[in-house]
Amino acid sequence: MLLKRLTEAAGPSGFEDAVRDLLRAELDGAADCMYTDVLGTLYVEQNRDRSGPLVMLDAHMDEVGLMVVHVEDNGLLRFRTIGGIDPRVLVSKPVRIGRDGPFGVIGSKPLHLQDGEERKHPLSVDQLYIDIGARDKDDALRAVEPGDVAVFATQYGEIGENCAKAKSFDDRVGCAVLVETLRRRLPARLVGAFTVQEEIGLRGATVAGHRVAPDIAIALEGTVCADPVGAPGHTRGTVLGAGPALTVQDGQTLADQRFLEFMMRVARDQGIPFQLRQVKGGSNDFGAIHKTRAGVTGGGISVPVRYIHAPAQIISLEDYHNTIRLVAAVVEAIAEGGFAR
Amino acid sequence: MKERILELAAIVAPSGSERGIQDVLLGMVADVADEVRIDALGNGIARHNGQGPHILLAAHADEAGAMVVHIEDNGFLRLVSVGALRPATLVGRHLAFANGVVGVVGAAHDVADQDLGFEHLYVDIGADSRTAAEARVHVGLSGVVLEPVVELADGRLAGRALDNRVGCAIALEVFRTAAGEGRNVTLAFTAQSAVGARGAKTLAYQLQPDLALVIDAVPAGDMPGAARLAIELGKGPAVKIMDQTAIVPIAVKDLLTDSAAAAGIPVQYEVWPEGMTDAGSLQRSVDGVAVGGVSYPARYVGGPSTVIDLADVNACVRLLQAAIRERASRV
Repeated sequence: MLLKRLTEAAGPSGFEDAVRDLLRAELDGAADCMYTDVLGTLYVEQNRDRSGPLVMLDAHMDEVGLMVVHVEDNGLLRFRTIGGIDPRVLVSKPVRIGRDGPFGVIGSKPLHLQDGEERKHPLSVDQLYIDIGARDKDDALRAVEPGDVAVFATQYGEIGENCAKAKSFDDRVGCAVLVETLRRRLPARLVGAFTVQEEIGLRGATVAGHRVAPDIAIALEGTVCADPVGAPGHTRGTVLGAGPALTVQDGQTLADQRFLEFMMRVARDQGIPFQLRQVKGGSNDFGAIHKTRAGVTGGGISVPVRYIHAPAQIISLEDYHNTIRLVAAVVEAIAEGGFAR
Repeated sequence: MKERILELAAIVAPSGSERGIQDVLLGMVADVADEVRIDALGNGIARHNGQGPHILLAAHADEAGAMVVHIEDNGFLRLVSVGALRPATLVGRHLAFANGVVGVVGAAHDVADQDLGFEHLYVDIGADSRTAAEARVHVGLSGVVLEPVVELADGRLAGRALDNRVGCAIALEVFRTAAGEGRNVTLAFTAQSAVGARGAKTLAYQLQPDLALVIDAVPAGDMPGAARLAIELGKGPAVKIMDQTAIVPIAVKDLLTDSAAAAGIPVQYEVWPEGMTDAGSLQRSVDGVAVGGVSYPARYVGGPSTVIDLADVNACVRLLQAAIRERASRV
């Protein structure tokens, strides 16, 4: 199962190797040409010699994670976050260090020992540590060293009404959509870019956009979905199960209105449900790509992800499949000349 | 000049929704330009092929505004900001959308002014249901606070979008002169400036000019209790020394001040540490671009109504005309 393999791979920003290796294997036979750049982004080309606009589809391989920065004498590991993680979701979570490294548990002072004042405030990262069961510093250093990275040790599982839970749907669900799109071998001049270091500032995409120099670019993302908490409509971001979400404005992008209308028209023509992403915060790789060179037309298509950047996230598999349908339909419509720039 | 400013300031063009105003602006120079076009990010570009160094005149065409992000079942609209707009300045005001629809902005009654965020605001466009609202507006549609331009006193204009339609009008005039003199000059009305000089970045990549001159508003500091800034309304153009995005090279600053002195134009100096302009995006493109700025003083920059003085505006035109001649003569 592609989503299971992708979400269970470890790949914090800057350490995307395991995800990239997996993607290379998954895309065996789907690429005319595959290569990486010096930052580690994986490029997959199809139909390079075809006429028509060059379309870049982007999904980032990296996920938010932790980095071990210090080993205490008692063998406990101090860490920092990589990317935006709410420290309140960290306490007591199981983690896995490195590609296949030891399991650990994020520990903290137990409730019994916290004084009244401490109980009023969430624990900060400085008050937490990773416990890998080491006896002391030397024992710990046999298994890990500072600079090693860790991810949440969450297994993929299908739950409830056609939903799935896992870590790192942001953005392995985008990677999965991109893999499935590339496997369809659409008759379009296409570059798939599986980028690095999105979570720490769209760094891989900045270079990738310049390298590919596409005519049209689309970022495929997992995006914020805050619909379950009784939030008013305008503070939810997206709604689970309501279809792929198109960006109108986020922290880095104002939608190209003609391309947004084009994508909506394709969705309506094909009978694919979609929603508009109703929040300004956050961003995706298109925010960097559209500002490269002379400027790039395009947009963002996202799968709603509940509990994004947290150890266990939930998506609707219906949204996932509808996103693949929409991306394929949009690429085909572009190749047929449906979008006049 | 006044009529042109009034015409341009009446156009609704929040960041990301510049195509309408670009058609108008480019139409005003189509007769003297060799090429006009709108690029991927919405910059409006007019080229005049000619002799000498390639000079870029850059004025942003966009303005801060608000975007519909959600439509309630009962027909009220919810907003997010486009650029830096203080939520409290919208309350009770008319919001005019880019498609002509107008609404009134309301706010939750139980939130103090200083705690007000865009999530507390709503727009009443007179629609009784989501369906009725969706027939006239859509999520992603942007608008601006309606504040038509009035003349406070002779030559003193007040109103919305004077920042930077005044700059556009100056740039138009200067481009016409330069084209008439056979210069190698490009006029650019930049897009998405109010959200972080996004258009200017991709513009500079395309053009790689020998000199880029940014024409924009600089806040005056001559009002009671104003933030300290040594700029006075009516005391002439401000030559940019630095803003938050760029420090102007001495050679470019000298070109402007020498040209002003030779033409007998009194100038002020813009040292605006908080200023977010297109200058930095232009300067740091590819191999680097020589950037300078000529700014017109404006009171209440960032608010719904800005005050400018036409005497400053006309002096900006003369200064830029003189500087372009001077730069061309130095080759």
